[in-house]
Amino acid sequence: MGFFDSLMEAVVDPEVEAAFDTLPHSVNEMGYDPWGFHPEHAKTYYSIARQVYRYFRPTLSGIENIPEGRILLVPNHSGQLPFDGLVVAVACLLNAKPPRICRAMAERWVPTIPFINEAFSRSGVALGDPINCRNLLEAENAILVFPEGARGCGKLWDQRYQLTRFGRGFMRLALQTETPIVPISVVGAEEAIMSVYNAKPLAKLFGAPYFPIPPHLPLLGPLAYLPLPSRFYVTFGEPMTFEGPFDDEDERIDEKVLVVKNKIQEMINDSLAARERVY
Amino acid sequence: MSETILITGVAGSLARHTAQALADQGHTVVGMDYRPRPDDLPDDMVFYQANYNKTRIEEAFRNHNPSIVLHLGRVGNLKVHLNKRFDLNVIGSAKVMELCLKYKVRRLVILSTFHIYGAHPQNHIPISEDDPIRAGQTFPQLADAIQLDNQAVTWMYKHPELHIVVLRPCNVIGPRIHNAISRYLRSSPKPYVAGFNPMWQFIHETDLIDAIKLVTDSDTIGVYNVVGQGTIPIAHALKLTESTLVPIPALVADLYLKVASQFKPAFPPYLLNFFQYPCVVTDEAFRDAFGYAPTCGIEESIRSCVDELTP
Repeated sequence: MGFFDSLMEAVVDPEVEAAFDTLPHSVNEMGYDPWGFHPEHAKTYYSIARQVYRYFRPTLSGIENIPEGRILLVPNHSGQLPFDGLVVAVACLLNAKPPRICRAMAERWVPTIPFINEAFSRSGVALGDPINCRNLLEAENAILVFPEGARGCGKLWDQRYQLTRFGRGFMRLALQTETPIVPISVVGAEEAIMSVYNAKPLAKLFGAPYFPIPPHLPLLGPLAYLPLPSRFYVTFGEPMTFEGPFDDEDERIDEKVLVVKNKIQEMINDSLAARERVY
Repeated sequence: MSETILITGVAGSLARHTAQALADQGHTVVGMDYRPRPDDLPDDMVFYQANYNKTRIEEAFRNHNPSIVLHLGRVGNLKVHLNKRFDLNVIGSAKVMELCLKYKVRRLVILSTFHIYGAHPQNHIPISEDDPIRAGQTFPQLADAIQLDNQAVTWMYKHPELHIVVLRPCNVIGPRIHNAISRYLRSSPKPYVAGFNPMWQFIHETDLIDAIKLVTDSDTIGVYNVVGQGTIPIAHALKLTESTLVPIPALVADLYLKVASQFKPAFPPYLLNFFQYPCVVTDEAFRDAFGYAPTCGIEESIRSCVDELTP
């Protein structure tokens, strides 16, 4: 075993390992599933993620609302980097009963980022594609999907906690595969990395969907990109089920999407009203 | 029942060993290739050297009247000039299909490749036979392979009496195979693209030969992906070969391959995407239709490819 492999094993958190070991994983004899998820490697990545999770000291509520079997976890998206996804994923692994592995649906440019693409696939992230999502739902997975996508993640400070347009894909998939939706609100990510401007030429240069400029960039330089230790408040709502044809007209689908969106906005507003400490 | 089977591409290892396996079963096998007769072809096997796009190939049909044709002779070697590959793969395959029709062949097997799907960052997993053929977007060098496949599929519906079946195998490896990927697995040190580790599939030569035998014995038509056991990240596969691995940034690798491919049979530059993005296919349809079940494990396949290189 190489030095790197030993190092990878050394950082494994016993609680993360225990949670992984209670779960059935459908992997081949080499330990991989077709998307590249590898539970043994994922233990390391989740252990590192747990340190980030602790940094944000999340307050969880309603996690018992996650039912067994296939499920779509649908949070708001914010904070420039997907710390909200990370916090929800770690919470589902360590606090849900039984533990759940979130199969997050990634933005289209993720597979093109060196190194990150590998860490993500080993941890169970897959490209946000309807066929990937349907295959994973039919295998009874928990799918973490951000219908706002990059629009939500890259939103600027003055739009904080206002949901941007939701895509329809998640609703069509929920209808097609008869999957309940758990609405989730994440409060706190907006204050971790603030962005006051989207530098589009730089985004284009890196092939990224946006490039945030934090307000204190002139003062701190690149250090301004370090996330501030904001407190996260994560609320899991009760599962919502929808009925109807998945290939219905966009307008009909939009009505159902709006129900989920309004629910999440309401949860965000409640969470913001109850929030006592930002940092 | 003994049949007369015409097999193209027998100067290559896969077709040669398929020919051998079918001859061993008691069939009369006629070999054909645009390259000269290979030394280890059994003495009693009739062989025709002819470019598939030339009228000379009709001799084989006229003299032997085959009931089955295995067109395994797709030219994948990029050393062969693009124009010549187009002549052999596109015009040649059309010629083979026309002759099959003229001589009332009742079974035509065409070996295509999974490369035509292309490795793309937006590929979903797994890719089925109905999914788009993406390779043309990024590698125009594969146009001939895509056209061959499309042509075969069109003919499959246009001429049901030919009972065409098109196979799209994943990376074919094995001790007797000399394609780009097998050579790469045997090479050392091995360069790979730093920061990327997509999932790969392999099929051992014996499993593919079994798959070809399965479709030869049947009349079921269709297009089928064919894979071996398991899917693993490329770096994991390379580690099994126990050679030195050299991570190279994508830009440098691209430049190197473009230059190196001019001088020696290096890795085709268009395959670089396969080192960055996944192209994972499913052969569920093939398993359902033919009861195919690969027997070589992925680890065993890779080790055998590296260990025992025989002619």
